[in-house]
Amino acid sequence: MRESKQTMNPRWFWNGVGALGAVLRRRSTRAWVAQSALALVSVLGATFVIGYAQSATRISNISLLYLLVVLWLAARYGRWPAILASVFAFLCYDFFLIPPLHTFTVDKPTEWISLVALLATALTLGHLTAAVRARARDAEESQRQTDTLYRQATLIAASASEHDLYATLARQMVTVFAPSGARSCALTLPDGTIASESAAHPDDTGVGAARDTERITLLRPLRTQRGEVGALRLTGTPALGGLWPEGITGGADIATGAETDARQAALFTAMCDQIALAIERSALAREAAHAETLRESDRLKDALLGSVTHDLRTPLASIKAAASSLLREDIAWDTPERQELLATIDTSADRLNRLVGNLLDLSRLEAGVAQPAFDWTLMSDVIATVLDRLDVAGLTRGFDIRVEEPDNAPLAWMDHEQIEQVLTNLLENALKYSPQGSVIRVRVGVNESELRVAVIDQGIGIPPGERDAIFDRFYRVKQERLPWASARPPVGTGLGLAICASIIRAHGGRIWAESAPGAGATLTFTLPLAGERPVGALPDLPEPPHLPAVAGTREGEG
Amino acid sequence: MTTQQPQDAATERADESAPQRANGARVLVIDDEPEIGRTVRTGLRGAGFGVEWAATGAEGLARVEQWRPDVILLDLSLPDMEGAEVCRALRAWTNTPIIVLSVRAREADKVAALELGADDYLTKPFGMGELIARIRVALRHIARTASGAGDTLLRVGGIAMDLERRVVTVEGREAHLTPTEYEVLKFLMANAGKVVTHRVLLHAVWGPSYEAEGHYLRVFINQLRRKIEPEPSRPRYLITESGVGYRMRSPE
Repeated sequence: MRESKQTMNPRWFWNGVGALGAVLRRRSTRAWVAQSALALVSVLGATFVIGYAQSATRISNISLLYLLVVLWLAARYGRWPAILASVFAFLCYDFFLIPPLHTFTVDKPTEWISLVALLATALTLGHLTAAVRARARDAEESQRQTDTLYRQATLIAASASEHDLYATLARQMVTVFAPSGARSCALTLPDGTIASESAAHPDDTGVGAARDTERITLLRPLRTQRGEVGALRLTGTPALGGLWPEGITGGADIATGAETDARQAALFTAMCDQIALAIERSALAREAAHAETLRESDRLKDALLGSVTHDLRTPLASIKAAASSLLREDIAWDTPERQELLATIDTSADRLNRLVGNLLDLSRLEAGVAQPAFDWTLMSDVIATVLDRLDVAGLTRGFDIRVEEPDNAPLAWMDHEQIEQVLTNLLENALKYSPQGSVIRVRVGVNESELRVAVIDQGIGIPPGERDAIFDRFYRVKQERLPWASARPPVGTGLGLAICASIIRAHGGRIWAESAPGAGATLTFTLPLAGERPVGALPDLPEPPHLPAVAGTREGEG
Repeated sequence: MTTQQPQDAATERADESAPQRANGARVLVIDDEPEIGRTVRTGLRGAGFGVEWAATGAEGLARVEQWRPDVILLDLSLPDMEGAEVCRALRAWTNTPIIVLSVRAREADKVAALELGADDYLTKPFGMGELIARIRVALRHIARTASGAGDTLLRVGGIAMDLERRVVTVEGREAHLTPTEYEVLKFLMANAGKVVTHRVLLHAVWGPSYEAEGHYLRVFINQLRRKIEPEPSRPRYLITESGVGYRMRSPE
């Protein structure tokens, strides 16, 4: 106890010395001492010159030299050195130059007048000059601040991404306040994420660790009219404290820290406000974009619902009308009429079935439920299955369908049924938009990295503007463009190609349309050929124990 | 994904070539939906079949024993038991052709039923013409199996296989098959009209250890088509049943 008490006193003493030393070490204190000394030395110099001049030749009003010195000091260093010099000049003039010399008494009353006039003139001159100088410096400073704020505003306006914006703003903070001791800056957003943290000031690298004990951190809430939108954390030397004294949260001895520079503090506040506005603006823009996305999605849903409702209702209405007509007991339908009504029911049911199937497929594909059931499959098998089905359904009647495929095309990794559906949709499409009697080609190409399947028709083609749109849901080529629309109205759901695109995407392939106006369309899709493919084959069975017998005879088994 | 079934042309052809005994053949419909049951019953009766309808699996099994139908139409989603179970129970004692009725998105059930002995499948909704055509194919298959047990000649369209001489001719010209190709074709032709799953075919020809080699089977079938199909890229006989297997189809 005693020991610790004894050691307390020296510590207090040394702390006091340290504080004094710190004050003396401070740049502003040093500058004050230097300027005072300069004022005294200049006045002494002027006194010497005046004394010499008076002893050599009589120059009237040589004492005005003092005024020049005061003027220079006021303009160069401001009010304090000017006042000091004025008073010192008054004393020196009295002491060294006005008889009786080396006393502060004055013989002639006229000398009093010039002495007092000198003092008054010097003080006024010094005051006025210093005021003008201060005003000029204020103007310069406010110009600089305006520039800084303008640059910040430009940065905010020009930033491409939010992340970039915050990084840039933090960097600018460090750059602008580096003279005040700023070394790093972090912006904290409302959700707690630190949007960016600028690296330490380049000048500071290496010595940073040694100075850590002298660091302070300023935490400034960023507020707008709507409330707090985040916080700015500025770390640096204790001099930073002057920017926002109430925000000093930690670091070095605060007592030695805060040194207020009102202008820098005002700039700091203005910059923080601007950052707060930028954050708010980003948040609002995000909200607006989100709202726009929702609206867009709503619009899409509405369009979808409208289209689906229409597409479901049309065949339903046909079925209902035909069936209720047939059920009427007061009408005796003849055979062709009854056949027509029944055919309507039949085709409408098919159409409904196709639409429901397509919608189910699409929703399952887009919800990611229908993950492809991948297996090694031959494209020729898929093509054959699809063409067979179209043949049996009578859809290919009157068309010349040609398959062009290389021998020994490799097995490809795909979902057999999904790719079948892609090809079915592409072929149905080609059939729908081609004139009777035209050629439709299914061309298979293989290179090292992919399998390419093209369905080439000689139909009406696709206008340039619609080549991407045809893969959108519910997009249908305008039917009045089909010369045979009255004879063979195309019945589609507007979903076929959207389903194709969805499936091919899930397979890691590409799908696109090419078309020369009037010269038909080519729809192509690719499937990636994986690096490793199954090699080998099923084993051959051994030759049977007996060779084929001679015609007409029958050999016993075994 | 879509398994739209042939609708019109096949029907007409099936009608023309229908064997006489199709008329009056007994069809048991096992389906829990009254609308389907009633409509199918009416439609098939109109086509000359005798039709009974059971709404549950248990009822269906009982009706098969009592009534001895010639063809069974089996819906896969029954309230009391899995369609595949019904298949297994039936195949334990009868070879009566089973045509499975399924909806899309139940492909796995369909394959399971086919592997447990079902002969064919139809995806709902189907046309009545298509259903009648399938029933007639099944009846023909049964008729051939019953009458031609000792027959040494298999014929599907223009393809003829002389089992005794191990000679295959396509439109009268001999096709030179390897022993393996011969065995595959023999199995498919013996089951003409029936859907043969990959697993069943692999098991029958190569044995149980090759049941999972479906992708090699595709390459193999592709080679076989080049020997027996007039236009291999547009097969008429050896038809691929998507995701299920193959079917030897008689194209007349």
